[in-house]
Amino acid sequence: MVQTEAAMEAYNAYWINSPLPAASTLYMVLILIIAILALWQARTFVSKF
Amino acid sequence: MDLQALKTQEHKRRVKIGFMWAFFCAILWGIWYIPGTVVWVLNPFDAMYSEIAATSGDGISLVVTAVLITAFNALTVILALMVWNGVLGKFGEMKRTLKEFHPCSKWFFLAAIFGGPMAILGSFIAMGFVGGAFAAVAALMYPVIGSILASKWYGEKITRRAYTGIAFIIAGGFTIFGGGVLTELGTGNISWIGYLGGLMAAAGWGIEGAIAGKGLDISEPDVSLTIRFIAENIIWWIIIIPLLAIVGFPMFKYAILAFEPLTLLTLIFAGITFGFCYVAWYKSFPLIGVGRGQGIGNLYGLFAVIFIFLFFGDMPAWTILLGGALCLVGSSIMFSESTEELESLRGD
Repeated sequence: MVQTEAAMEAYNAYWINSPLPAASTLYMVLILIIAILALWQARTFVSKF
Repeated sequence: MDLQALKTQEHKRRVKIGFMWAFFCAILWGIWYIPGTVVWVLNPFDAMYSEIAATSGDGISLVVTAVLITAFNALTVILALMVWNGVLGKFGEMKRTLKEFHPCSKWFFLAAIFGGPMAILGSFIAMGFVGGAFAAVAALMYPVIGSILASKWYGEKITRRAYTGIAFIIAGGFTIFGGGVLTELGTGNISWIGYLGGLMAAAGWGIEGAIAGKGLDISEPDVSLTIRFIAENIIWWIIIIPLLAIVGFPMFKYAILAFEPLTLLTLIFAGITFGFCYVAWYKSFPLIGVGRGQGIGNLYGLFAVIFIFLFFGDMPAWTILLGGALCLVGSSIMFSESTEELESLRGD
């Protein structure tokens, strides 16, 4: 189902007041960084225990 | 170095890693509220909500839409956990644990019932009826239920310091609920189902933690959590969604329509955060105990408020901030406990 104009308007409205630039993309980048860090720690954990 | 010194060193390392996992859980859980909130306005969920609301009313529509979103969340969590287990080389262990249903897997199927239909759905209901910041902090009461159950059921040691932390969390929870009700009473618009959702989340996650703590005595956290989410997917996709479709809701129609790039991308990021946060939560339990793992995991309330402010620019109401602060004090009291107190996690 293609996003309607109203749905995209509501979606974009969430990010409009963010103090960060490109907040809708930045949150994904932040998630990936934290996830990779957690996975790296888990690898280290596996090798130590 | 003598044996006692080695034991103490190993114990300190175990506690440090346990707290690190609980902290990872808190950060990832907090950021989950970003994709978990925006997915509601995207199609097909927005169109689904409108269609069901037109015939069954807003309340029913919200719960039914939340079921589909939660089911997709569980599905993307499984994808994220497959990556996690693949990187850690745990597929062999997964097969072994799945085969041992009676001693191992049964606990995680039970945990899925409380953590899935009860807690996650409750959180979505709270988010939809009241708001993202409220949903994030409303469930902060869950360590109270988790630590009391773990203490009564299998004798997990709860120190006076841990009880003090729990008391602060209770006070914070009352501030959150009471303050929210007062604010809504003032506007004459009381979303009781939203508060009920918050309570479902607190009770569900608390009970799940205690059950998981029991199961983790004899199994491995990465694998156990994956089994718990396989069970949750069975509950949603094989039991609840077909039942709702039989009752007459357009579940399968909208499930197929969800295969849209932006919706899928948002769901995948919700899955990564939720899956990884959950696995970190489970990893902390055998290292520092259910009560402490949940107490530190509780910092997700703070992270959610921070991330919601950073990405949405929303400043939460003062009651939510005050309640969140009290819960944080409670979590910090648990965090600063001497590691000697944690030498044995069980009372006897």
